Amino acid sequence: MILRVLPALLLLLLGGCGGSETPSDSQALKVYRHSMDGTPGSLDPAHASSIYANFLVVNLYDTLYRYRYLARPYELAPNLAQGLPEISEDGLVYTIRIKQGVKFIDDPAFPDGKGRELTAHDFIYTIKRHFDPVTLSQGAWLWRDRIVGLDEWKGNGSDYTQEVAGLQAIDEQTIRIGLKKPFPQLLHTFTGGFSAIVAREAVQHYGREMANHPVGSGPYTLRSVDSAQAVLDSNPGFRQEIFRLEEEGYNPDSQKHLGLEVLEGRSPPFVDRLHIDFIAEDAARWNAFTSKDIHFLKVPVSQFDRVLSSRNPVKVIPSLLESYRFSSSLESGFVYTSFNLDDERIGYHPDPLQNERNQALRCAIIKAFDWQSRNEVFYYGIGRVFPGLIPPTTPEFDSSADRFSVERDLDQARALLRLHDWNRENLPVLEYGFPASVTERQMFEQFRSFMLDIGYPREKIRPLSFATFGDFFRAYSRREVMLITSSWTMDYPDTENTMQLFFGPNMSPGSNSSNYNNEQFDQLYRDSAAMQPSEQCTEIYRKMNQMVIEDCVAISGVSRNLLFLWDKSAIMLPDRSFVGGYFLRFVDLKDPVPGDG
Amino acid sequence: MKASHYIGRKLLSGIPLLLGVTFISFLLMVYFGPDKTFELLGKNPSSEQISKVREQLGYDRPFLSRYAEYFRQLVTLDLGLSESSGERISRILARTVPVSIALVLPGFMLGNMLGILLGLSAAWYRGRWLDKFIMGASVLGMSISFLVIIIALQVLLCTPYGVNLFPARGWEVNDASSYVYYVTVPTLAIIFVTLGYNTRFYRAVMVEELGRDHIQTALAYGASSTELLFRHVLKNSLVPVLTRLMFSIPLVIVSGSLLIESYFGIPGIGKSTFEAITSGDQPVLKAVVGLTAVLFVFEQLLIDILYRLVDPRVAEA
Repeated sequence: MILRVLPALLLLLLGGCGGSETPSDSQALKVYRHSMDGTPGSLDPAHASSIYANFLVVNLYDTLYRYRYLARPYELAPNLAQGLPEISEDGLVYTIRIKQGVKFIDDPAFPDGKGRELTAHDFIYTIKRHFDPVTLSQGAWLWRDRIVGLDEWKGNGSDYTQEVAGLQAIDEQTIRIGLKKPFPQLLHTFTGGFSAIVAREAVQHYGREMANHPVGSGPYTLRSVDSAQAVLDSNPGFRQEIFRLEEEGYNPDSQKHLGLEVLEGRSPPFVDRLHIDFIAEDAARWNAFTSKDIHFLKVPVSQFDRVLSSRNPVKVIPSLLESYRFSSSLESGFVYTSFNLDDERIGYHPDPLQNERNQALRCAIIKAFDWQSRNEVFYYGIGRVFPGLIPPTTPEFDSSADRFSVERDLDQARALLRLHDWNRENLPVLEYGFPASVTERQMFEQFRSFMLDIGYPREKIRPLSFATFGDFFRAYSRREVMLITSSWTMDYPDTENTMQLFFGPNMSPGSNSSNYNNEQFDQLYRDSAAMQPSEQCTEIYRKMNQMVIEDCVAISGVSRNLLFLWDKSAIMLPDRSFVGGYFLRFVDLKDPVPGDG
Repeated sequence: MKASHYIGRKLLSGIPLLLGVTFISFLLMVYFGPDKTFELLGKNPSSEQISKVREQLGYDRPFLSRYAEYFRQLVTLDLGLSESSGERISRILARTVPVSIALVLPGFMLGNMLGILLGLSAAWYRGRWLDKFIMGASVLGMSISFLVIIIALQVLLCTPYGVNLFPARGWEVNDASSYVYYVTVPTLAIIFVTLGYNTRFYRAVMVEELGRDHIQTALAYGASSTELLFRHVLKNSLVPVLTRLMFSIPLVIVSGSLLIESYFGIPGIGKSTFEAITSGDQPVLKAVVGLTAVLFVFEQLLIDILYRLVDPRVAEA
């Protein structure tokens, strides 16, 4: 009986397991297979808070600006905008013209299912939507207290029929933005997934399910998405724009080997379909790459020794270059551990003497921290350790800055403790928080071993483990964690984005999780935030950096080196930083796809 | 007792069980489960915004009101939307559960069938070299981590370092041949990891049955070994065998396939559940936990009915 029923049951199940395409489909198409080490969650631009969601959203929707594909350091380029904006002399009014004839994809959300033209009103709606509480936007912070009338519009009930003074559509193709105060980073905020332009009809038609029904005007459309993979098709209605190497910042000296010249004069996207696999497990990602199931791999740290022949300079094993191309770049962010200064055991204390002792304790901990060892053990020794908050990928980075805060000095650490009467008996219990994972636990154990070297009693250094990152996030947002190890990925290439991590008004539950409160720092932040990039602005950033170092607010930091390998048949320069997902529109394939035929 | 009365009584007795199981699981999720508030807030939120998000997520509502809503959702199968992806949860389940079943069914069935055959053989040759060999191999199989088995099979069967015959990941199943192509390596992994446990369990059951008087009687009548093992031993061992099989099913569907789905990139319910745990997606978690509880309750009912079929003494009692 079972044997008779089983085949029928399996056939029934197979009926519900239809893949995204038939083999004959994929044989005829150019399919590029990408991999990511995380899942995107929602594809609603208002929730594109992770790099994974952002990666997809900027391919499904349009943004006003993007970054030039090949230019390093990163440079802004118009995307949906016709060009760079006209900015008033006082820096408060931006006028942006968008391209004509750009259409949303066909979708049942529109009358007759035909996508209509994208206009300036759609941009206005998109930004307003972030300030509508129903949206539960994760991106509103970018424009909060920036645009004239927008916060008030929210306060008055988010009525879309009401106009916002600082958000005007002058005509169908012209946007005018009025700012409360100069915000030089404004254009950067229009490059990210949060600013991707949505159609009001789609929001009304799909509601929260829009997260799985993207209706945009980007180079790709969504074919399917699940917890393992997203499949995107090229958008046949995407505007025809000719690719010019020069305009994208091509540097033949460093990029000639990539074979990008074949793209010249053609209109992206160059492939018919994207398969984006979400593979969190390092071993699975490596196996999928070596078996040619995917074209691209962000090399897991556990595989660095199989890939690299030299660490300094970073060089790949020559035999791998026969089949693959390789690049490496520092992440656009850093890893650091901050002290919760709201905790009187280690932070600010009403008693000035104790306050001073606590600062000395933090400084001793920083001096006992061995960055070289941290880098060797967890980042294969190829991360870039730097002092303070200005990571090496930013223009404001100072390579000649004093490195005393990231150089271990046990004698100085012990001397600091002695000088301020800290001993084994009166040292406070250190609670080191982290989300549960093997690596995080190993990092804690290493931290504990560093502290043992300055005489900290083992039993006074305790792990504070949380089941998920969300739980950890909640705890430190509530100021319940004493030592917080986290990473920061920059939203745009401007040091303002890291300085705000220590700006007083951003204290927990804001991004200033150390609850650092320094009026002088805050004033400098306010001054610099209104400045265009300049030498003067850089000087201020560096001064602020020095304050954070001298006040011993954080053990910081290291920027991780990311290694990428990709099949030689893929013509591209992958990026996981500010260009991010935008590079997918420029990917092309030389040969029939491995594994597809 | 009539069968219909028996089923009716069992169904009624399942209701308090269902209430109890869902209540406890809901209680655990509300007080110890993930909280999505801070992830949804974005950067630098005010306390007013925190309150607003908590209100929108329903976290501020009284516990009993939330439980009543949860129970209503389970009963009506209107499970709401995922907080992470915005997708309707019933659609997620409809999409992922068939994939998980198709993925684990061959391994589950083959693992149990082979386990029964090996258990019978080991029991029949109890204390002899074959028994020792089977038990030794079982312990060896049980000792190797599932993860190691998956990675080793992937390397051996799916990459150029081995024979490279099967895909390392994916699930583009359209017909029987593509199904075999994608399911073979996961099935081997499932068999490898479950066979040892199954064999040891079934051997213990069969050994106990072999020592009973009716087996001695059958032997005295001159029954052949095949007749003895399959007609007398296996048939009379069906109660514990069924219990093990049936209670494995929900675990196999939900949690058993998690590693396989993650490492082979298969979009099943295990992977979706894991994503829900790590992202704090309470509606998905509540649906999976609640429906698993419901499945257990109905399975218990089914098991009771099957007991009556395989062992008439249960019906008489």
